[in-house]
Parts: sequence; structure tokens; C-alpha cells
Amino acid sequence: MPNGFDASNPPFDRLTQPEIGELRAALDIAYLAPGEAVLRPGQAAEHLHVVIKGAVEARDGETLNAVLGPKDSFDSRALVHGAAGEAFVAAEETLCYLIPRALVLDLIARNPGFAAFFYSEVSAKLDAFARSHRAEGMESVLRARVGEASRGPALLLPGDASIQAAARQMQEAHINAAFVRDGARTGVVTGMNLAKAVLLRGLPPETPVREACHFDVIAVEAGDFIFDALLLMTRHDKRRIAVRSGGAFTGFLEDIHILGLVAGNSQLIPGRIDRARGVEELAGPAQDIQRQVERLHRQGVKVEQIAEITSDLNRRLFVRLFELLAPPAIRAQGCLVIMGSEGRGEQTVRTDQDNGLLLEGPVPEAELAGFRTTFSAALAAFGFPPCPGGVMVSNPLWSQPVEGLVRQLRLWIMERTPEAAMNLAIFFDAVAVTGRAGLLAEAKQAMATALRDDRALIARFASLVEAFETPALGMLSGLMERVGLAPDAIDIKKAGIFPVVQGIRAMALDRGVMVPSTAGRIEALAAAGSLSEAFGRELLSALRVFMEYRLRAQLEAVQRGRLEHEAMVAPGALSAADRDILRDAFRIVREFRELLRNRYALAGFG
Amino acid sequence: MRRGALWRLFYRASLGDHAYKFLFEPGPPGEAVALDCETTGLDPRRDEILAVAAVRIRGNRILTSERFQAIVRPEAGQPGAESIKVHQLRRRDLVDARPMRQLLPALLRFIGGRPLVGYYIDFDIRMLDRAAMDLIEVKLPNPRIEVSALYYDRKYGDAPPGTVFDLRFASLLRDLGIPPLPAHDALNDAVMAAMAYLALRDLQARGVRIPRERQSRQALPPIVG
Repeated sequence: MPNGFDASNPPFDRLTQPEIGELRAALDIAYLAPGEAVLRPGQAAEHLHVVIKGAVEARDGETLNAVLGPKDSFDSRALVHGAAGEAFVAAEETLCYLIPRALVLDLIARNPGFAAFFYSEVSAKLDAFARSHRAEGMESVLRARVGEASRGPALLLPGDASIQAAARQMQEAHINAAFVRDGARTGVVTGMNLAKAVLLRGLPPETPVREACHFDVIAVEAGDFIFDALLLMTRHDKRRIAVRSGGAFTGFLEDIHILGLVAGNSQLIPGRIDRARGVEELAGPAQDIQRQVERLHRQGVKVEQIAEITSDLNRRLFVRLFELLAPPAIRAQGCLVIMGSEGRGEQTVRTDQDNGLLLEGPVPEAELAGFRTTFSAALAAFGFPPCPGGVMVSNPLWSQPVEGLVRQLRLWIMERTPEAAMNLAIFFDAVAVTGRAGLLAEAKQAMATALRDDRALIARFASLVEAFETPALGMLSGLMERVGLAPDAIDIKKAGIFPVVQGIRAMALDRGVMVPSTAGRIEALAAAGSLSEAFGRELLSALRVFMEYRLRAQLEAVQRGRLEHEAMVAPGALSAADRDILRDAFRIVREFRELLRNRYALAGFG
Repeated sequence: MRRGALWRLFYRASLGDHAYKFLFEPGPPGEAVALDCETTGLDPRRDEILAVAAVRIRGNRILTSERFQAIVRPEAGQPGAESIKVHQLRRRDLVDARPMRQLLPALLRFIGGRPLVGYYIDFDIRMLDRAAMDLIEVKLPNPRIEVSALYYDRKYGDAPPGTVFDLRFASLLRDLGIPPLPAHDALNDAVMAAMAYLALRDLQARGVRIPRERQSRQALPPIVG
């Protein structure tokens, strides 16, 4: 086929021009009648099939796992690893390109980019494919706006202030440069200028600061590209230039800030959080934490690392906010905890606040009431949406003395409703952020003790994974289109992330594994022999895949202002390679459900 | 094919070069060849073949990896500008081209005794016959499988009198859901004919008909049957 085969369809876009020529020369075309089985489970394949038209079902006995359509290919496992994981059956009249196995293996050996598609580990495959469309690293930094780079707060000193006063103010504001207003002129003074004025020129500390500053200010507009700023810096041999916005100086851009853009400016945020002297000063860094998620993602940082950086920064933010808002009694008696995805360290784009307050003993009721409102409201103002389930400090259920909470946990254990199980699940992920961490350990221990050997409850817990079906990729699209509805979308949170997180959580609860992160739990469960190490890796791999696609969906939803779509992924809008990766990840989820079903005899739960 | 039997006998007897006897033997079972010629025009007596392509079909597979594909140098000088535009063949492409007389032996060996599949295959065969007569003094004796006839049968075979037929290649491809490849390329046309053949043969085997859309009589050229 000289020109019929679409070589821009991943993974074939990784091939070089001569390789594409070779591939096209070797192609055959197969016609499949409806119901015709192409591959049976365990069978080795002689060809890689690429669907031209029609539909092929991937089946596991009675279960329909996926429907493959044009441009989808199958089955890399049968081809490379010698055994198909599923049966492939034509659902309608189907035409497929056939690429001979020997040629595919040859191309795999020659072309590492192409080979990545055939990796057995799904997250490695994702990484290899994600890398290419993000090779922009430095490029994206240069195209960022000056305003996006972090800058110190603008400090404006009157020209007649003494250099001593100037030094003191700059010290308090943790900045190394300030603007000086002298009549109609504006100048800049740096810490180095002040030091030189005193030490080298011998000026007395009372000298007006205008004597020590310079007025030839090099400035860049906040809306300019970093690229422009870099040019200015190079041209004038400056490591720091002034930033102007709306005709006024708003701060400085330093070379270190530009460096910060390269890997996100995460290293600058902690300082700004610690320096905040009021709740309103935390709003800036709080926004920066969120903004850098997008930037880190754009630069190709892996989703688990983004989550780690983000949750580390969020925790600092919570600590500082707690210090700023909690009255002394609460600070002395309390323990601030975060739960759910925040506790597991798996949140990237903020979805909700899951937090609580444990108290050693009673505190003044009015103070507690005030703290409940202000703390949750401040977080909401920072962009942490309130938790729909009310798992927040503002809810008295989640901000009370530890005995009260332990009683509540016991009640939930006895209640046996899905809601109660969900509350227990969220609490099981709790992490102490600041204050008396011992209180949380105590409450968790009490919960674990109450649950020990309670097989029925752990099974109830595990049964929550059955709440949402794992979708058969592509199955809905045809149906929905036929009835004229919008093309389907998969809720990746419900169908992918939740079953893995919840199943692992149930197993961790069962084995008394107290680590909060899913990765840590999987590791501990594998060490304890509850999971095979290989399957543990696959699960983690699948979770990362889901987190990555969810993050992409979230960032897009944020961009379009349609937050309700934050976890929706439309398979039709994905490339064939992306669909293939997701399909693999969903296969792992199905295997995991099966494992849970057998282990906890879930058949009894409807 | 009806008229074939006698002519077959005749040509078999009059075959100029007995090295080509294989044309009269039945091809390997379950095999066929889809064929397409690009020509300077639609008159088999005067027009010339510009390009020819053939692909073997074995069972339910189209063996595009074992294809015959050639650019033909027209005997009567250079092709007209018009056909160059339509077939996207430039004089430069014709440099590697060889005259039909030189290409035909390899093409005939590629085809062997297999049935020939195509859309209006009679035309392509008549174009080839001229060269075959020159070379081995016979016309191609292969059985013919007409894709448009299979399509007619599946779509209009049970149509009431007065039905308007639309046997255009584009309509046929659309009904069968075959993605159109860039047209006016002999190999693509042969491959599309092969795809259509396999799809229609399967519909026939399963007794499935192609639904007729509601008639829009004005829109189509009325060929009343």
C-alpha cells in the first residue's frame, strides 16, 4: 500500500521515512466477516492488525473489554509476548491492515520510540509517549510571560528615608531590592548598594537612601515574554530588572525566577508561604501552587512527581494557615489532619478539601466555632473547593476532641452503610500536618483495633470498588452516536482511579498497613505477600496512567472553565496510542476487581 | 463468462506462445487478482494504458505485499496534458516507464489463471487484450468478477421496477464503508476493488442485502432496469 496506510497515526508516527516505506511495502489487508475470531486468548499472533474500517471486540469470556475501531491496533501482547490476553472478534464487516510480526519485531529492535508502544508496563508506555509532545521544556519557559515568574513584593521607599531604615524594611520584607521614590523620579536600591554605601563610601546610616540608589532603571512589562526580559538582562548585564504593570512598578524579575520557571517555581513558594504575615498574603503562593501544576505538566514532569511537589507545598500552606488562624488553645490542643487524596499525596489540581481537626481536650467553644468558619473559608478562597461530603474542619463532626471522633468511627463501623464506609475510607488516609500528631495515631489505632478481624466490614469496604463499572472502551460511542447524543466520555476518576485506590485501601485496612499513599500501600502489601510484586507494579502503573489522563482532563477543564468535566475523557478525542494505553490500564483494573471479588467473596454485595 | 467457453477453446488452440499455456489452467483455489489500468481515455481502440496495478487475493486477504505495479510508456508518443493532470503522472515519472509489450509477460505470469476482479473490469481487460494479441495472439481468457455486478445484486437485485440505480464507484464504497484511498492511482483502485469484492462476497455468502436509501430521483442519472 503505497499511500493508503496512515503513517501519522501513533505509534507509526515514530517511524522514519524509509521505515514507513518498508512497512507499507510489507502490508497485507484482511477482510473479517462479523463474528470471525481473529485471536483467541493465549494465542500468538502472526500480524499486528490495524483496523481500517469496522469494529473488533476485545472479549474476555462473556465480558466485553473494548471495541476497537479505525486506526486502533491489536494485539501487541499477542505479537511481542506471544500470547493474547483477550479474544479478538470482528463485530461487523471489518478491514484490517496486517503488518507481519517479523517486521514489527525488526522495527522494535531498530527504533526505540516505536518500541515503547510495545512495552509491557503501561506507565512506561505512557511515559515514552507523553515525552514526545512535551519536548518543549526550555521553549515553553521562553514563551512564558514575565508576570508568570515569581517576583518579590514591590517595596516603595521615600527618597528621604535613611539607608538604615531602608535596610531594615527590606530585611523585614525578605527582599533584596526596593524602589525609591524621589520626587518625580523612581530609582532602585539593592542590598549591595546599601552595604557599599556604608562600608566602602563610609556614609553614615542616616544618609537619605536617594544617595545610595540609582535612577537608570531597566524595566520590563509584566505582559512581555521572558524571552524579552532575558534579552534586556543580557544587553544591560543585569541579574535583576524591574517589572512594570499598568504604568507602576510592581516588583522585580531576577535570573533565579527564570530558572524557577524551568522546573516550576516550587523552590520559591515555601519561602513566600513562610513569609506570609496574614491570610491574604497566602493567597498569592496558594495560587502559584496551582499554577505550577500546569507548568510542570507542560514541561513533562511525571504526574506522581507533580502530585508529590504539590502536596508538599499544600501541606506547608495548611501549616501556615493554621498558625495564622488557630487561637492559642487550639494550637496547643489540636492536630490538623488532611485526608482523602490530599492525605495520600495524590492530588494535583484541587478538587476538594478533605481536612479535619483533632483536639486533645475541650477548647473554648466560641474560639473553635470561629476557627471552623475562618479556616475552611480561607481555603475556599484559595481555590480549594468545599468537600461535598462535608469532610472539613468547618463540620463539627470532623473537628472535635479525639474521644468524640473515635466514638464516631465506631458508630460508622457498626452502621454498615456505603456512606459510613466511605467516611472510614477517607479517615484511613488521614495524615497529621501540624500539632499533636499523636492524636491521629491514637484515633487510627482505635479504628484499626475495632476493625480487626471484621471480615464483613472489610468486604463491605472492598465492595465499594464495584460501585462503578469498568468501561469497555469504545462500546458506548457507537450507541450514543446512533441515538444522536454527544460522543461518550469515560469518568476516569470513577472507572479508573477509585477502584485502584479503594481496593488497595481495603487490603491495607485488612493487613493493618498504615502508610497513607497508594504506592506505599502497594509496596507494603507486596512485601506482606498480599499481592504479587509484578501485579503491584502493574496496579501502580495503571494508577499513574489514570492520574496522568485525569490531570490532562482537569487542566483542560480549568482552561475551558468547565470544572464538572474534570475527570471526563472522551476516547474518540484520543489518539489510537492513548486509547491503547488506557485499554491496558482498564484491563489491569478488571484483573484487580476479580482478585478482590475472589478474596473478599464480593458476590454477596449488590 | 457465458461467451467465454468457446472463445477460450479458440484462443487456447490459437495461442501463439505455448509458454503462456498457464493462462488457461485454473489458478490456485481461493485466489483471484484485482486489477486496474489507468488510461489516456475511455476508448479501448485508440487510448493507451498509462499505469497498471494488480494485487492477489487469497481467501479473505488482499496480498498488497505481493503486488504488480508498473508505469507504462505509451506507444503513440507522449500522453496528452489532460491525462497527465488526471493521473498525476508527469513526463518525469514516465522515465522509468516501459512499453506494455515488455511489461506484459511479468503481468501475465503474476495473474496466471486466476479470475480477474475489478470495477468495470471488461474495460481494463480490453485494454490489456490489445497488447496480449500482439504478444501471444490471444485475448485474456481469465474468468472475470465484476464488482459493480456483485454490488447491483446485493443492492438492487430485488428492487421493484422503476428503481433508480446508482452503481458509481464512490456510492459503492460508501455503502460498504470502505474508506476511499486517493483515486486515479492504479494500485489504490485495484485495492479498493479488492476490498469491495471481499465485502460483497461475504454479504452474498451470508445472504445480507445492502439497504436502499429512499429514492431521490432527480439527483441521479436515471438508468431504469
